[in-house]
Amino acid sequence: MSVIPGVVAINTFREAVRDRVLYNLIFFALMMIGAAILVGQISIGIERMVIINLGLSAISIFGIIMAIFIGVGLVYKEMEKRTLYSLLSKPIRRWEFLVGKFAGLLLTLVVNTALMTLGLGAALYFVSRKFERGDATILVAVYFILLELALVTALALFFSCFTSPMLSTLYTLGIYVAGVFAPGILSVSQFTSNWELGAITRFIYYVLPNFHNFGVIAAAAHGDAVPFTLIWHNTLYALLYVILILVASAAVFSGRNLK
Amino acid sequence: MSKRGQNKSHTRAVLLALVAVPALFALCAGLQMRIDADTFAMYQDKDELLLRSGALLKKLSLGYEPLLADVYWTRAVQYYGVRARKPGATYEQLWPLLDITTTLDPKLMIAYRFGAVFLSERPPTGPGKADLAVELVKRGIAENPDEWRLYEDLGFLYSIHLKDYKKAAEAYLEGSKNPNAQIWMKVMAARVAETGNELETSRLIWVGVYSSTKDEMVRRTAVQHINSLDAALGLKRLNKSSEEYWRKFGRFPASIQELRDAGLVGGTLEDPAGFPYVMGPNGVPQLDPHSPIVLESDQGAGELR
Repeated sequence: MSVIPGVVAINTFREAVRDRVLYNLIFFALMMIGAAILVGQISIGIERMVIINLGLSAISIFGIIMAIFIGVGLVYKEMEKRTLYSLLSKPIRRWEFLVGKFAGLLLTLVVNTALMTLGLGAALYFVSRKFERGDATILVAVYFILLELALVTALALFFSCFTSPMLSTLYTLGIYVAGVFAPGILSVSQFTSNWELGAITRFIYYVLPNFHNFGVIAAAAHGDAVPFTLIWHNTLYALLYVILILVASAAVFSGRNLK
Repeated sequence: MSKRGQNKSHTRAVLLALVAVPALFALCAGLQMRIDADTFAMYQDKDELLLRSGALLKKLSLGYEPLLADVYWTRAVQYYGVRARKPGATYEQLWPLLDITTTLDPKLMIAYRFGAVFLSERPPTGPGKADLAVELVKRGIAENPDEWRLYEDLGFLYSIHLKDYKKAAEAYLEGSKNPNAQIWMKVMAARVAETGNELETSRLIWVGVYSSTKDEMVRRTAVQHINSLDAALGLKRLNKSSEEYWRKFGRFPASIQELRDAGLVGGTLEDPAGFPYVMGPNGVPQLDPHSPIVLESDQGAGELR
């Protein structure tokens, strides 16, 4: 098996660190410290819930912003700086370059998310001085956020293969928002008596990446268990969808005239 | 890589994508169905409305409140539409959704008019909150005093749902003062004041609702009520014949056929769904048990005698 994607991934990760991408952790840490101190003063009985909701939402939002804004420049930046030409003159296949870029950004996001999760754990411990059995769901929620980020990264990479960062951002964000509201699209098909509209909305529902699948923050805040089948199905879903997008990206990028 | 080699690689990548992408989409769709089944219990009937304050939403909408109102109105319609067909459904979020919609856009007439119909429908097809419906329409009148149709809706709510014929007549009369109001508003005011509790008057009001809208959902509701009232009127006529039979023969008829044989009724004796009326105990005519028509609580055969 080729080691090239791994090498590209490590370099992408290093580049992100050099670009001070992980500085957002400082902001996250300040926010969690502030919240942990303030929440005890302004709320009664829901301190833990506020910290979990705030922490997980921040992990998700920070991650998505990073995935989109770095993801859309992954290929474009290399072309702009003309570093892609020297890279592809070496025995590197284009799909290997893409997979490496994807894996590199995902690694960055995993490290970033892991550090933020530690921060969330610390804030939670500061507020309640103990961990509960139900807190395991927080880890499931973080895992689901990572799956979500993998999908967003793949989408951003796909668009960056053929359009400008500005448009890639818009497209990725648009699909993400539509994917979050996917159940609303399906409910149109259940509600309408128009057969054609019903069929179209059902089709859109199944074709769109369904980001609503990964929303278990409320369950984590309430300490409700997430069924194992859902964890397994969501993992498989994200994996298949990422492969799908990467295959499409490779097809688009392989035909791209780089001159 | 040479130009030829690159072309070959591109062709291979495209071919792979053509086969793999649809197959992966199909797999993802199949998996999504499984995930929907997994999450069905988690999300089932979790009526959540994060922001209940229309005033706050108005501030947060950054000047786009009419658009946000449209979104909330669409949500309200979907919310009601999905539940209206489900037995045992609850409607807790219907009023907050309508409240937010009309706060965001106080001129959105459709939200007052249809919202009132949705709110006032009795269970199982609605929450049966006629009092809230009246509040909604009154709010609409305060914001849109020139809309005579809202007075029609207010009269409708008072007469059909709250059985307050005095207030209903007042509402119709107030609306009729608007120069744009239809002439029949005055007729309705007089008729409701005189014979508000009669089935014929209720039918007239529902026919008015049916003809004043093109919305399918409201029309369907109106047709259900008209059919129900027609069935009640049919039973009322049969009941009169049954009482006449008793006066003639000293006993109640055992069947509709006996009424027919006595020459007291004629023609087709079916309810609007096509099911023949049947004779119940003590000569009280009833709907066929298989008939889909549901009589309202005050239209039952027992109420007729």
